[in-house]
Amino acid sequence: MFKKLTIGLVVGGALVGIAHSQEVPFDFQKLFFIFALIGAVVFMMLDASPIGTMNGGKSVFAVITFWILLITACIAGASLLPQFNPEDERAKIDKLLGKERAASQKGKAEELIARAKALDEQVKALEERLKGLGGGQAASVSLPPPSGEKPSSTAGTTAGGGGDVMKVGEEQWQLQECYNCHKLRGEGGKKRGPELDNIGSLLTVEEIRSKIYDPKSIMAEGYEKEYQKGVMPDKFKDLMEPQEMVALATWLGSFKNTSVNTPKPIKKK
Amino acid sequence: MALIVLFSLCVAATGACAQEVGASSVELPYTGNRTAVWVVAQLHILFAAFILGAPIFVVISEWLGYRKQDPRYDRLAKEITKITVILFSMTAVTGGLFIFVLLAAYPQFTTSFINQFYMVFAVMYPALFIAETILMYAYLYTWDVWKGEKKGRHIALGVLLNLVCLLILFVINGPTSFMNTPPKAEGVSPQDFIAAATLWDKIANQSWFPLSLHRIDGNVAFGGFIAGMIAAYMYMGAKSQEERAYYDWMGFAAIWIAVGGSLLQPFTGLLLAYEMCDYDFSFCPYMMADQLSMFFEMQGMMIGLLFLAINYYSWLSVKRIEGAENVRMTILAPIVLVVLLPVTMWVMNKYWIPDPMSLAFLLPLTLSPFLLSRFVPKTVSARSVIKVGFIVMLVSDAVWLTPGGFVATGTDMPDDLKLPEGWDFLASMPAKLSAILTLVFVTVVNYVLYNRTIKQGTILWGKIDFVSQFVLIFLAFISTWTMGLMGAVRSLLKKYFHTYSLVSDLSAESFTPTLSYSAWWITAITVFFIAIVSVAALVALRPSVSRVREPEGSPVPVGAK
Repeated sequence: MFKKLTIGLVVGGALVGIAHSQEVPFDFQKLFFIFALIGAVVFMMLDASPIGTMNGGKSVFAVITFWILLITACIAGASLLPQFNPEDERAKIDKLLGKERAASQKGKAEELIARAKALDEQVKALEERLKGLGGGQAASVSLPPPSGEKPSSTAGTTAGGGGDVMKVGEEQWQLQECYNCHKLRGEGGKKRGPELDNIGSLLTVEEIRSKIYDPKSIMAEGYEKEYQKGVMPDKFKDLMEPQEMVALATWLGSFKNTSVNTPKPIKKK
Repeated sequence: MALIVLFSLCVAATGACAQEVGASSVELPYTGNRTAVWVVAQLHILFAAFILGAPIFVVISEWLGYRKQDPRYDRLAKEITKITVILFSMTAVTGGLFIFVLLAAYPQFTTSFINQFYMVFAVMYPALFIAETILMYAYLYTWDVWKGEKKGRHIALGVLLNLVCLLILFVINGPTSFMNTPPKAEGVSPQDFIAAATLWDKIANQSWFPLSLHRIDGNVAFGGFIAGMIAAYMYMGAKSQEERAYYDWMGFAAIWIAVGGSLLQPFTGLLLAYEMCDYDFSFCPYMMADQLSMFFEMQGMMIGLLFLAINYYSWLSVKRIEGAENVRMTILAPIVLVVLLPVTMWVMNKYWIPDPMSLAFLLPLTLSPFLLSRFVPKTVSARSVIKVGFIVMLVSDAVWLTPGGFVATGTDMPDDLKLPEGWDFLASMPAKLSAILTLVFVTVVNYVLYNRTIKQGTILWGKIDFVSQFVLIFLAFISTWTMGLMGAVRSLLKKYFHTYSLVSDLSAESFTPTLSYSAWWITAITVFFIAIVSVAALVALRPSVSRVREPEGSPVPVGAK
């Protein structure tokens, strides 16, 4: 047992040494060391002497203890890993769904207004009938206003309306997570899409917009495989407002860094 | 009957809700709406997975018993069927609860969704569920009637039951997969396309078939692991050596059937991920590099542990075979084990999926220990092969678990947490696929070795190391937990939509929760599910145990009891 633990420590130490010399971050060094220790534990278990059969209360106790260990390990393991902060995404979603949420509230309010109007019509018809019957007093009958909320006049404000186009464009870059595939200003991108720092020198704003609207309209040189597979999603025309797409295209069109090798665009449509 | 009443209530509630356009949602206390739906849905899926997977497992076992004339297989099949029947009602209860919670939490979406799939929810699914119920009960209650010469008839009934189960799975996966990948067409808005789409268009969406395949082999594996856990409980409670021998065998048989399903899981899972990324490439970074990257790190841990535990159980099984020390294998086996990971990584980098050229390299390599062994006289002991296999497994697990960066999202990854250039191949998809291929190969080699060992030695049933029973419990827990985790991942892939890119989730909860928060709930779901299964096993199997212990006709004096 001691021998296997020693081997595990030596292997772990060697891995850490190699990783350290190659400037691999400390977290990875820890991970490699843990792998080596797990290996030692596995080999200890392989050659461990058999444990005796348990019965009755002893086996129940052993099973419950084992369960508690498993539960703890699963929760602790997941909690020790880096955690994504939902607030980052929440802010994005608030911006993306803001209009739809407002419209939904507005829709509810409009429905209430329609109901109130229908009630009002009924009341008026009733008044007319009462007048026809000669009951002048009926004209003074008043009904309480519908209990529904007042329609919000502020609902449905448009994002970026009257705001800075460049700011809206940059915001759309973040909201639509274009950085997941495209590198820009040295950030983001995983070689799935071309680097865009010089896109403004190669395409007009309208051409960039048409590429976002219909990804099949233009192909980047060297990205034939990605173009064929349709890697760039054909969904932005449904997710973005026309003015937001123009803002994003305008913002991208301002990138004219000729020192970056943005691939040549080839028109397809 | 209860099921029909429950379903009628659900349909009635749906109809009532459909009439009340704009019905407001209920704020569910303590958990919030989304978590409440998640917990109930996942519980329902676990029970449903068991009752759909167990019949496959059961009929295979019954057929093996008939073919080999081994009554143990028949007993195993019957015992699992008894438990399945009990869990059937839990599936119906959680299913009904799921509809109610969904209607309370998201009334407008649920109503429109049910309207989209009215034929599925109101006709096909209930009809098939009722057919399954009738067949399941008929299958159990004809067990002792259709035996001997009529056994074939009983197996045929089991096959029919499985066909209905498979149909249910395919039918209900239509709406499920629709939420992730609703059909679309170039140049047409998703809303317009769906408005004109037929029911078949909606069901046969891009992820429908891969999801169904993934769930079929997953359910078989899951049924096997749960049966293994039940065998472990019964082994621990066994009072005689005979019972212990039987439950030792049951655990072994259940695990090997589960392994059969597990070996396919990574590949059908990969196919599902491939199709989803093909549908919308933004799924890929969201899963592997962004918000869900650490969920996949956790999945890697769980699958790695699962394979280690399966092979450890196999090792313990070999240890209790008399004469195992004399079993030898060609030296090609450990050589291929050692070179497989680096060779596969090289091949996958050169010929990435779906390029079939990779098979030209990998097939001859993996088959060589079995095809060329007669030409290579040098052999090594079985123990040495298994130990080399463990080293290879540990290295493969390490490759699988090494992320591109130790951050929860790749969006803003600082350099000090990122794998440097030169090491980043470890985090690539070809490396991950090579690691899983190697894990599968090691398990196959161990299985071949085990079969060779039992042919040359004598199995001492009931004499297995007691720690193996904890391995069986561990496997059931880990597989259930992993199902919970991946269930959450599949659902979270819809991002801030109820139906991806079609119906937005306008509630305040439409964000990706933390892994830690998810782990708490997944663990709670797992514990609840396993507790129910354990109670069902005790209820279903204890009486038969007591009957075995108390043989009929034992001479007991009158008034002695």
